[in-house]
This record gives sequence, C-alpha cells and structure tokens, in this order.
Amino acid sequence: MRNPLADWINERTGYRAFARTFSDQVMPGGARWRYVFGTTLATVFLVQAFSGLMMMLAYSPSSNSAWGSVYYISNVMWMGWIIRGLHHFGAQTVMVLLGMHLVQTLLSGAYRKPREVNWWLGLALFVLVVGFGHTGYQLPWDQKGYWATKVVTNIMGGAPVVGPYIKTIVVGGNDYGNQTLTRFYGLHVGVLPVLLFLCLAAHVYLAKRHGLTPPAHVAPGREENYYPAQTFRNTAVSALVVAIMMGLVLYHGGAPLDAPADPSTPDYPARPEWFFLSLFQMLKSFPGRLEWVGSIVIPGSILTVLALLPLLEKVLPWKVLHFLACMFLFVLVGGAGYFTAAALWSDAHDEGFKEARRKADAAEARARFLASSPQAGIPPDGAGFLLRRDPFTEGKAVLEKKCMSCHVLDGQVAGEQSAADLTDFGSRAWIRGLLEEPSSAKYYGKVAKCDGMAEWKKTSKLTAKELDDVADFVASFAKIPADITPDEWLSDETVVKHPGSEPFQKECGKCHVIDGYTEGGVRDSPRLFAWGSPQWTERMIRKPGAPDLYGYLDPQFQMPAFGRDQLTEDDLKAMIRYLRGDYPMPMDRSSKAASPEAAGNVPAAAGHLP
Amino acid sequence: MTRRDLYRLGSRVLGGAIKLAVAVPALAFLVSPLRKKVAGQGGASDSGGSMETLTSLSQLKVGVPRSFPVIRDRNDAWVTYPSEPVGSVWLIRQPEGAKPEVIAYSAECPHLGCAINLTTDAREFLCPCHTSAFDFEGKPKNQVPPRPMDRLDVELTAETDPKVRVRFQKFRTLAEEKIPLA
Ligand code: FES
Repeated sequence: MRNPLADWINERTGYRAFARTFSDQVMPGGARWRYVFGTTLATVFLVQAFSGLMMMLAYSPSSNSAWGSVYYISNVMWMGWIIRGLHHFGAQTVMVLLGMHLVQTLLSGAYRKPREVNWWLGLALFVLVVGFGHTGYQLPWDQKGYWATKVVTNIMGGAPVVGPYIKTIVVGGNDYGNQTLTRFYGLHVGVLPVLLFLCLAAHVYLAKRHGLTPPAHVAPGREENYYPAQTFRNTAVSALVVAIMMGLVLYHGGAPLDAPADPSTPDYPARPEWFFLSLFQMLKSFPGRLEWVGSIVIPGSILTVLALLPLLEKVLPWKVLHFLACMFLFVLVGGAGYFTAAALWSDAHDEGFKEARRKADAAEARARFLASSPQAGIPPDGAGFLLRRDPFTEGKAVLEKKCMSCHVLDGQVAGEQSAADLTDFGSRAWIRGLLEEPSSAKYYGKVAKCDGMAEWKKTSKLTAKELDDVADFVASFAKIPADITPDEWLSDETVVKHPGSEPFQKECGKCHVIDGYTEGGVRDSPRLFAWGSPQWTERMIRKPGAPDLYGYLDPQFQMPAFGRDQLTEDDLKAMIRYLRGDYPMPMDRSSKAASPEAAGNVPAAAGHLP
Repeated sequence: MTRRDLYRLGSRVLGGAIKLAVAVPALAFLVSPLRKKVAGQGGASDSGGSMETLTSLSQLKVGVPRSFPVIRDRNDAWVTYPSEPVGSVWLIRQPEGAKPEVIAYSAECPHLGCAINLTTDAREFLCPCHTSAFDFEGKPKNQVPPRPMDRLDVELTAETDPKVRVRFQKFRTLAEEKIPLA
C-alpha cells in the first residue's frame, strides 16, 4: 500500500523514522502486560482532554451560570451526559491507574538510577492530577463542590504564616464566588494542562531514552519489538479501561450534579471524593489547631520520602532500601484503606449525617425538577435562585421558621398556638369554616383580643345557603389583581350581582370597611378588600399593625411585623405562593399542588415564576 | 568593555525588561484579592461595621437556640445581589436578669467553615463536616475545633419589645484566636 501523499510528507519531515524510534524499540524480555500502565494512563488523559474540550464549548464559569450550564450539558445536550460522565469517571480512573502505576514502579524498583528524574516527574504528575481533581470538583458550582472547596481552601488557609494569604489569592477574596470560579477554571483548563503536558512530554521522552525496566532475569533470545506485540497489549488494556469507564457512565446515568451552591445552607455535610476520604478522616483525628500537620505535613512528608527514595541508595544498601520502601508503601496503602473504611463506617452510623444527606438529596432532586420544569426554569440571575425562590423549598422553610411558633400548618405548630391555622388559608373552605365557627382553634379561638367574629356569630341570622354564598364571594377577593382600586372593582357588574354580595354588605360590612361599598363602624376590624390575595398577605406580613389591618389592637396583641431586614422579597413571595399551593410539582407525586383546585384559590397563571 | 560584552549585557538587560513588563502586572493581577479595595467578593458589601436587626426579643425563648439569616447586599466580584442571606447567626436568650440578655454566635464553624447546626436532639451544636461539637456556651466539646464558637456583638434596642441587633462578622478558620476577616 503506497500512499503518495504520506510519502511526500515523509520526504520533507522524516516522520516515519521518528515513529519508528518508538515502534522498533527493542524489549529485552519481550512484550509484557505489566508495561501497559503508562500507555493506558495516556489514553485516559486523552479522553479527559477531549471530553474537557467538548465541555468547554458549553460550560460557563460564573457563579450564576455555572450550575445551569452543567445542568444543560448533562440533561439537555445530546449525549452530554456521556461526555460529562466520561470526564467524571475518567478523573477517578486516572487516580486509580496513577496509584497502580506508582505502586508498580516502586515494587519493581524502577525509580533507581538512571531513572530518578522520571520518578520525580511521575510524582509531579501525581500532584498535578490531584490539582485537577480539586479544581474540577467545584466547577459545577453545586453544593458538593462548593462546600468541599470551602473546606479544602480553609485547610490551605490554616498553613502557618503564608496560609491565609495563599488562600485569599486562590479563592479570589474572603468569600467564594465568581473570582473563585474563574480562577479554578483557569487552573483547570489552562495552567494545569500546560504543566501536565510539559511533565508528560518529559516523562515520555525519558521513558523512551531509558527504555522499559527489564525484569531481573531475562531469558536469552526473548526479544521483541515494541510494535506490534506491546502495542496490542497497550491498546487492549486501554480499551478495557475505557469500557469500564463507559460502563460506569451508563450505570450511573452520567456524572452527579448536586443542588446549586447555596452558602446559606445550615447543614450541608461536605465530603470529598472517595479517594480523599482517608485524608478527610485523618483530619478528624487532629485537633483543630494542629490541622495543618494532618493536612499538609503528613501528605507533604509522604511525597518527600517518595521523592528521596532514589537518592537513598547512596546511604543504604539496595536490598534494605527496597525492603523499607515496600514496607512504607504497605503502611501507606493500609493506612489509607483503614481511614477510608473508618470514614464510611462513621457516616453510615451517624443519624445526623444521614438526615443532612437526605435533605441534600431532596434539594438536588427538587433543583433538577425545577430546572427542567416549564413552569420554573433557571432564572436569569442564576441557578442559586432556583431553590431560593421555590415556594415548595424556601417558602415552606421560611414559613416553618418564622410563622409556626404561633400559627398551625398541616396540623403542626412549633410553639404554642396563638394564631389561626394557615392550612389552605384564604381558600373557600377556610372561609366557610370561619363563618361557621369563628371561635374554633382553627380560626380566632386562640387569638387574644380577636373575638369580633365570634360575637357576630352569636347574633347572625344568615342561613347556610347565604353563608355558602358569602364564602364564595370572599374567596373571590383573593383573585383581585394588585393594580385595581375598590372603585374599579365595584364597577364590574358581576361583583355587586354576586349572590354573596348582599348578605356580605348587610352583615360583614357592619364592621369591615370597603370604600364605596360597606360602611363598617360597629367594631374595629381589618379591611377585606383583596383579602387573601398575594398583595393583601404581603401587607399583612410586612405591616400587620397598619391602620387598615390590625392597627386597632394594642401592639402586644398584634402579629409581629417582618421587615425587609428579616425576610427578603424572594422569601416573602415564595412563602405566599406556598400558602396558596402555587408551585409546580412532578406529575407522579400526589400533593395538594398537583390538584390546585382543591385549594380553591389558585389564580389562572399558577406556577409562573416571577 | 568589548563589543561582545556589550551585546551580552544588552541582551540580558533588554531580555529582563521584556520579562518584567509582563511579570509585574501579572503578579499584581494575581494577588489583587489581597488588596482591601477589591477583597469584597462574595462577602457583605459593608463588612465589619454595621449592626443587623435579626428579630425581636419576644421571638426568643430562654435557653433555646434559634438561627436567623443575616440579610445584606452581597457583592460577588462584578455582581451585586440586593438583600441576600450572607450567613446565619445562632441566638440564645439568657435567663431573666442575666447580662447580656441575648448571646449570638456565628454559625460558621471555626474549624473549616462549614455551617454549625443543632444535633438531632437539639442538646448541643454540631458541625456536620468533621464533628466539631459545642455546648450552648459555645465551648468546644471535643478536640476538633481550634477555638470556641465565635461570639458576635449584640445590641438590644430600647423598645417595649426590643429588637435584637447583631454585628455580623466572619473570622479566620483554624486560628486559635478570633481574627476578623477584612
Ligand atoms: S468544618 Fe466544622 S468540623 Fe470541620
């Protein structure tokens, strides 16, 4: 097979001769399976570089877009989950192979003269790979990466003297954010790859210069060229490794993506990747101020000892040195195994951890659902707001924290009930119940100084039918848009013609004022215009003591106001929407939001994020 | 000096100048987070100084810790997020007559910065990362944390139901003393 083009090129570059210096390399003991590590590693490195490049075409390194872009890669782009999955499991494969390569080199004494420099390059590669792992772990800007990075950089910051400065430079400030991401991204895709390439090129060059380390006893006559015998073995093992990676990707359905990073999570249980679990566990056995001994001195000395190995032959007989080196390795591997097992064991027996992890998993599932839901989606100011504005997550949490020391919700109360039950608050059923028995604990029975309704009930002559109509009527208040005045509302004929309008005017209107419609005057009471609507509830939370609400009560009987410094706009909106059951839920789960009509008051545009 | 010497020297000097021309700005660029002016990333925009209102006294029960978010404008490099939770604080109301009336702890673990929570039985504080545990006086209950929980300054306003105001700060992790971060 002659290829004129290849000939033409060869004549001018001599590439064939160069390639032949590899392929014709003589292997004294013949081709062996044990020589495959280097090439297999190179293969996985290539897979990493390639899948990494692919993701660079879709990834966006900023604290408000990183999570979304990774979500997009994994869940929307065609086969993106495979690309990212390969990269994710490739990183772990590199760790494993590199460890095996190191062990094998050490056991066979391949670091001895003249290969010292190559041994050192190998160690440098190891450090670089760890760097890749750490920087890559936080790029998705999910909870896992965020908290792990926080811990790792704080370890760095704990180093004596220069630690805090180094940490600030690496993190890009005191806190984690855009600058952290851009820095880690730059390291991960620019600085580290260049260093890795340089080390790798030198490593390969030297490996070729010294040849492979032959086995101790070579049978004469068993000589083989590198190509094709060794090449085949290399390719076969590389293929096997890639197949395993692919298997992992398929089995796990790609790489994991935790909920978007949220610095205000109260209890995220940060854990590193499995290959750092042993270090992580070791941290627990060092008292805080000696942290850096465990995290910097010990790993540092292990590396130093390894680096010095080839030089120790000058002082120790080879047999002794080799025995010690093997012992050292044995202790290392044993220690790492022990600590890893201990870490897994203690987490498996820690209820607190399991609970925190359950919560984190639920947040992850919710975030993914919202990101994919047509009613939600990732907001323009970042995936961080995905859960922060979600009624079901944040609204519920805020409500539980701020309101349930007095109010009841779904049968639960954190303190002693001294306010109404908020379950289905504002719905027709809620109002109908109130009209039936205002002094029930569900309504104002436990609320100090709120007996106006109970008093009305004693004298009221409204029939059950009329009460039904009033309930219908009042339930419609919740749908009054925010930009409508009472006059405009009344100009709509259907309002005054509503069957509930007349009894409302006749009885409720004696106390509750609606300008131009009811007079009030008998007793002080809150205005009911747009009662139960988001704008009404918002005002009730921000200013319960306003003259049109409960300002007529003495301050100690009013509901406490929640100002902007205690409750953000987002939280308030989320909370109100949660009360109204106005949020998207996965189809297959039965909840009150899955059948919004049950709540009775869901506006037409339910489930639309602002 | 011979002509050859001059060439040698000249190459050195000019070569050095070329390197410096990029190295100096590059170094400054890299260490710029160390400068106070740009260090505001991710943190609160007015770090240190101001007091934040967290709740009112009547919302707290004696001896029962409750956590409150600290809400501030937050700077993240080139972005400003208005009113966001930037951290949280544990408040414990002290028995009647005790001084101070309310104790505030930063929820950031002095160990490596995870968030401190209550244990499941709500008897003590526990950090889910490396099991730092603290009692309600903030004292460490094991060897892991380098120092007690970080107390924050508290101030009560002079109303019938006083507002609880706290000076929210972050401190260097792993240090034995409380060293405020700029
Ligand atoms: S960060 Fe809290 S125990 Fe380590």
